[in-house]
Amino acid sequence: MLARILRRNPGGDPNASAVRKHRMRQKLSARIYNGLPWIRLLLFLIGYTWLLLLPSQYLGTAEWRVDENALQPGQTATQYNWAEVHAADRYLDRVEELYHRNASSSERADAIKFMFLEQGIPAATQSYTFTSGLRPSHGVNTYAVLSAPRSSGTEAMVIAASWESLNGSPNLRGISFILSLTGFVKKYSLWSKDVVFVISDGHMEGMQAWLGAYHGKFQSNVDYEPLNLRSGVIWTALAIDYPGHSFSHMGIFYEGLNGRLPNEDLLRSFNIISNHVAGAPVVVYDHLDEHIGSFIPSWIPDSIRNKPETRDYAIRARNILRHLKYQTLGRASGIHGLFHQFRIDSITIFAVPATGPHGFHSLGRIVESTMRTMNNLLERLHASFFFFIWKDPNNVLKIGEFLPSAVLVGVALMFGGLRLWVDAGWVEVADISSEKSNDSGSKSTSWKTRVRNVIPPLAIMVTTHVLGAVAFWLANSKWWIQLPTTATSYLPILPFSLITFGCLSALLAFDPLNRPKRNLQISPSPLYLLLKSFTLCLTSTVISVTSVLNFSLAAFIAVTLAIPLSIATPTKSLTFKMVKVMAYHIVLLPLWWILFFRPMSQSILEWQVLGVWYAPFMCIVYLPLVLQAMVVCMLDPEFVYA
Amino acid sequence: MIRGWIGTGLWLLCLSQLALGGETFDEQLRIRPLQDGRLYTHFTFKTLLENASPRLPNMINTEDEPQHYTLFPLALGQIIREYAVTELHLSLNAGKWNYGSWGYPDDPNVGTGAELWVWMGEGEEGSFDARWQGLRNALAGLFCASLGELDDRRTTTPTVAFQPDGDLPKGTPHRLIYAFHPSENVCTENLTPFIKLLPCKSRSGIASLLNPHRLFDADWHGLSVRVLWKADQGVEVTLGVQAVFDPMRLKGESKRDWSFSRIFEKTINNACPVARQSDIILDLPASENYSISHPTDLLEPSMVYDVNTIDKPLDLSLSFEENHFTYPDTPLSETPLAIMRSQAGTSQTKGHLHVAFTNSLEEPQRVAYLEMPPWIIKPYLHTLTITVNDDPARRNDLIEHLTYIPTKDERPTLFEPILILPPQSTVHLSFDFDKTFLRYTQHPPDAHRGWDIPPAVLIPLSSNTSTIPTLPRMYSNNILVDLPTPDFSMPYNVIIMTCTLLAMFFGNIFNLLTREVVAINIVGSDYQ
Repeated sequence: MLARILRRNPGGDPNASAVRKHRMRQKLSARIYNGLPWIRLLLFLIGYTWLLLLPSQYLGTAEWRVDENALQPGQTATQYNWAEVHAADRYLDRVEELYHRNASSSERADAIKFMFLEQGIPAATQSYTFTSGLRPSHGVNTYAVLSAPRSSGTEAMVIAASWESLNGSPNLRGISFILSLTGFVKKYSLWSKDVVFVISDGHMEGMQAWLGAYHGKFQSNVDYEPLNLRSGVIWTALAIDYPGHSFSHMGIFYEGLNGRLPNEDLLRSFNIISNHVAGAPVVVYDHLDEHIGSFIPSWIPDSIRNKPETRDYAIRARNILRHLKYQTLGRASGIHGLFHQFRIDSITIFAVPATGPHGFHSLGRIVESTMRTMNNLLERLHASFFFFIWKDPNNVLKIGEFLPSAVLVGVALMFGGLRLWVDAGWVEVADISSEKSNDSGSKSTSWKTRVRNVIPPLAIMVTTHVLGAVAFWLANSKWWIQLPTTATSYLPILPFSLITFGCLSALLAFDPLNRPKRNLQISPSPLYLLLKSFTLCLTSTVISVTSVLNFSLAAFIAVTLAIPLSIATPTKSLTFKMVKVMAYHIVLLPLWWILFFRPMSQSILEWQVLGVWYAPFMCIVYLPLVLQAMVVCMLDPEFVYA
Repeated sequence: MIRGWIGTGLWLLCLSQLALGGETFDEQLRIRPLQDGRLYTHFTFKTLLENASPRLPNMINTEDEPQHYTLFPLALGQIIREYAVTELHLSLNAGKWNYGSWGYPDDPNVGTGAELWVWMGEGEEGSFDARWQGLRNALAGLFCASLGELDDRRTTTPTVAFQPDGDLPKGTPHRLIYAFHPSENVCTENLTPFIKLLPCKSRSGIASLLNPHRLFDADWHGLSVRVLWKADQGVEVTLGVQAVFDPMRLKGESKRDWSFSRIFEKTINNACPVARQSDIILDLPASENYSISHPTDLLEPSMVYDVNTIDKPLDLSLSFEENHFTYPDTPLSETPLAIMRSQAGTSQTKGHLHVAFTNSLEEPQRVAYLEMPPWIIKPYLHTLTITVNDDPARRNDLIEHLTYIPTKDERPTLFEPILILPPQSTVHLSFDFDKTFLRYTQHPPDAHRGWDIPPAVLIPLSSNTSTIPTLPRMYSNNILVDLPTPDFSMPYNVIIMTCTLLAMFFGNIFNLLTREVVAINIVGSDYQ
């Protein structure tokens, strides 16, 4: 082989093209290297502009297609009629009576159980107690299992209503509607799955306890009664929320815990059914278009404000922002969100309170038709329609239309990190020793490699993450919870930064000048370069990985961290250092709290009761990243760990 | 003229057969109102081949003696002779039998799905398995059901459960073989061949009530075939149809009145002429006001009507003197024992099975519990836990005996403990299991809803100290298990993915193989 190569390249001339090629490659990489800041800037710009364009009408397509053929939405003649409406009204009288005399949880549950039993449907109650440190809660759920005639009872669907509505008022009409539905459903033999009716106490806790008991999920801080009645595997669930007297629109809430979403087919089917079967228009959440005026900021001039394009943009932006908020916080937007953790596709349908024109009759027909659609399923909803953003009822963003925005920002961060890594490995030194001449003339400097000592920056990073874990442990502990609310709200930023700064000052107390230096010709790369490089690479990885699990969280990190981390640079002046660190402290750390007007205790409670990952993620991933940027600012530019 | 003579001759032959008394046919319909307003009906058609005896397996290679049947179902008789079957139980059921509200059924074989259990004599080596295979395929053909699926993957031999109901010939060792197919349903295509086995088909007698439109709309319905040998009588074939109707659902109102024409949309217009006995037994509701279309002088708690003698067309009806039916306001428990089986855990790789046995009697009950999970789930015996009521203490001493055969070669596991259920208490039995990761060819080709696990069986055993007679066996609910399943509906993505990977690798390898590698000396390079 070698002989062949040598034979082929006997002298200077035949090499010329190869040399030229090599030179070109070198030039190209030099150009890319030199242009990297611009490329990064471009990626940032594209990424952020993309995020801003998400509500635009040009992104996403209006589609009424339902992928799963078995669903066949709206293809049935509905039978729910005025007799059932009358029954629902009678149940409403009884449920209202319970509410007005302030009946206790167990009284209510027993009364509702009796209303199921008198319709010939086996029913039972389940009491539960959450012993979480923040807010112990106790309640009693009622549930009834209608065994589908002729079926083996291995599959089931759930129709649920929580006692408390999404808007905080009692869900009296939702409950009375379900009671009227049971008697109605019992009249038909066409059900292929058992129908399980659940009236859960409280808002979220009751359903969490019921689902936990149904699936045998052990949770250390909850004490629940086992279920006496059971059915099979639950595939789909529908939560009904009807707090008002009548309704004008059907709202859909769909976000689950930790950013999980139900299958898009379920939303699409419901959209079709609601519009076609009862003529009740569907809205996202409880967002009515006529209220959009208050959403557009007042400083925008009227000429722009009143344009239909601006209005459309604002309508979609409002929906997307609310979705981003739910998903970032890992919050379920209703009791349906608790089902997703058990691979059950579910949504909450919310009867948007209004003076009319719809009531039990429309709701009955919509729910009946939706149940028939759910009943049609031969297998779980499975095609990969779990990644979407619902911009407006008829317009859905697919994964390819929103995912690149955050990922591009992540790519820009990765490029930044890699460039710093290269920078850390090379140093330009004055060229004295070699007097080599070449065709381009004499050179006064040349690039030399330098040692990249990776242990200290990694140690700093690990320390910050461990401190983050400690802060989370503190926030989660019992004694902290007993502190006054203002303190818990700001937790764990204060003690966290105190501890961290203690550690950092200890770190910086090691004066490198006092220690014996290794005799190196070229000093190793400065600490800040390596630390920043690693921080940027880690942030980029976190964004990319999170983007497919919880896009909103990834977008949130991309928006809040990408630029601040990229511009973190060390300074010599102590005043500047302090100003920078304070700026990070003030802007970034409480940002995630201020942004959503939520005290930390709420997130901790959700972690303890529902297992929402937001609080641990913020403490163990987000805060340490910010701290690493702060350490970069605190370091001396020439500080070197030799 | 000659044809006429032949016809007369044949008639005489038939009559002589009847006169000889070689075969008898009895039919019966039992009707019982249930506590939750539903109506239980049980049709039995019993044919007795007098003084006949089952074919012995060691005679299988010699030519069988000719069989002449007049009433006995020929198609079934041939199968039984061909495969030398001594006792056979086949049932095809749909729906979940609700023991709590409906009590024990007259025929205890009510597991959801297709159940087949057979006692056959041991013959030459390999003969047993060959005959079992032939039998299930023949029955599959006869009843248009997927009984051919009851292969080794679904077959076991329990040790305690399913003892023979009839007699076994002495001198030949006999063995039980049991199979259950939980995903099999029952419908018209099974009823048609079933009715063909009856001497009067569905044209007369009580069988004329068997209207498939109504029968298969019932909340619970099932067909059963039972072949027994009684040493002192002969071979007996019993064909049974059980169904639980909901008169209120059929009528669309809240009264539970019923009549033949309302429930079956049929009436009995003629009696079956060859039936020796043709009875309708109506169990009367206790302590309620009602009126019956055909009152008799017989004493309560049941009325018996002889279809052969009663005025026809017969449209029996019963109406209650109430404005609407009041459902019981507490959950019913009509049986002294109860069984509830459930699975926990949502992971696709492992799960947890939990069974609760409730004994509401005043004395302990000795029961056998039969669980036959298919090979796709692998139970761990060391995780077996038994507790009583809410007490967390382990009570493994309640197991008197345990038969356990782990799964091998895709055969089901056999888990058959004998338990002592303390009086007035609930015993919880649970164990963990692993779910198998299937090869893609092992997945069924249809819509993938999961894997049905057959019902477990609870068999109360007799004990010397007990004062009550041995209770009938009970079936638990079926369970659907989710295995790790690829998304089969996405072949397009898979193709794209595969092609991309292939192209990437191919491109790289091709580039490396064809590239000319040269060493160049570059003067004045920055990199040294």
